Amino acid sequence: MDFVPGGELSRRIRQGDVSAESELIRQFEPGLRVLLRRRTGGDHGLLQDLVQETLLIVIQRLRGEGIADPQKLAAFAAQTARNLAIASLRKTERQRTDVDSEATDRKADSTQSVDRIASDHEAALAVRALLRELPQPRDRLMLKRFYLDDHDKELICQELDLSEAAFNQALSRARRRFRQILEERGFAKRDLLSLGL
Amino acid sequence: MNQEHIEQYVAGRMSESEAQAFEDYCLANPEFARQVEYEQRLKAGIAQVARGSTAEFVRAPHPLPWTIAAAASVLVALVVSLYVFNSGTRAVAPSILAAATSAPYDGPSLRLALVRGSDTAPSLPPGVVRVEIVGLFDMGHQYSVALDRLEQNKKIDTVATLNDQNPSSPVSLVVIVDSRQLRAGPYSLRVRKQASGEEALDFGFVKY
Repeated sequence: MDFVPGGELSRRIRQGDVSAESELIRQFEPGLRVLLRRRTGGDHGLLQDLVQETLLIVIQRLRGEGIADPQKLAAFAAQTARNLAIASLRKTERQRTDVDSEATDRKADSTQSVDRIASDHEAALAVRALLRELPQPRDRLMLKRFYLDDHDKELICQELDLSEAAFNQALSRARRRFRQILEERGFAKRDLLSLGL
Repeated sequence: MNQEHIEQYVAGRMSESEAQAFEDYCLANPEFARQVEYEQRLKAGIAQVARGSTAEFVRAPHPLPWTIAAAASVLVALVVSLYVFNSGTRAVAPSILAAATSAPYDGPSLRLALVRGSDTAPSLPPGVVRVEIVGLFDMGHQYSVALDRLEQNKKIDTVATLNDQNPSSPVSLVVIVDSRQLRAGPYSLRVRKQASGEEALDFGFVKY
């Protein structure tokens, strides 16, 4: 997909070009997911809501008054997402402070945990499939050390007696396979489908 | 931006201003952002799998042949010699559980791992058995290994304990169990990382 400059997208959306709105969604949605995934702590439902809300705010703004510097449309969208994430966090914190009821807390927690389970389920299945395919125990341990224990590459190479090149190669292979498994399971398609504004 | 930046971002090793610049770049580069999201998903998936048990990270998909040189230890030699010696005198009870080193060992062996969903316990072969415990071990720490007999009334009777054991690799710790001295029944090897608050792991087996 060719990148469309923010200035051009802003101008076309202001003129009522619906296809420009679709382009904006396609262009910004992956980055917004990255940004908001980091700020929603694995809460898939909240992530989806905030992505949609951000896109909606940006489009409505462009349809109306526009933004001060259309060339910085990406930065504007990113900041909107950050603000929404902060507001959402504050709201959650306020609810926790205002309502001192164990029952309500339990209910809220269970709702969140259901979302979290749904969120990680696809990735967990793909990881399990990946682990089954890795013939060397060393490769599986390498993934754990790197992603779960957050050890430095150097330390892992030392521990597992690996050269840095071998480490990078094995990691890159695992990443490719993980992506392939998720794509085969329809992860990418499902996420795109869930983004209709 | 490159893979190294992705790793730093996903591992949370960027400052807030660096992370924001990275995120702005992601918004302007959707294909790059997809790469980042897969990395986030891989990390999250691994965390999710490990939440249940880390056994899947060390479990072999199929039973592996003994690729590590079969071990027997100086202590095994000691156990055996003690046993031979004591079989004549019966003055001192020989050890049931002994440490192992990497010296070659031709005797019976057993491999114990935590396998989710498995409802059958492995059986301990007769004789002086080299038992490899498969798990994730920190090479910088020592472990204690306790041999428990699981009584029918749910009582646990610890029959032997070894302290200060070093793992033989990041994924295995080897001990020697003298099967001949054990009564028939269910047993468990309880492995605990010493000087840590970590919960002990139990590796069950049956002596017939």
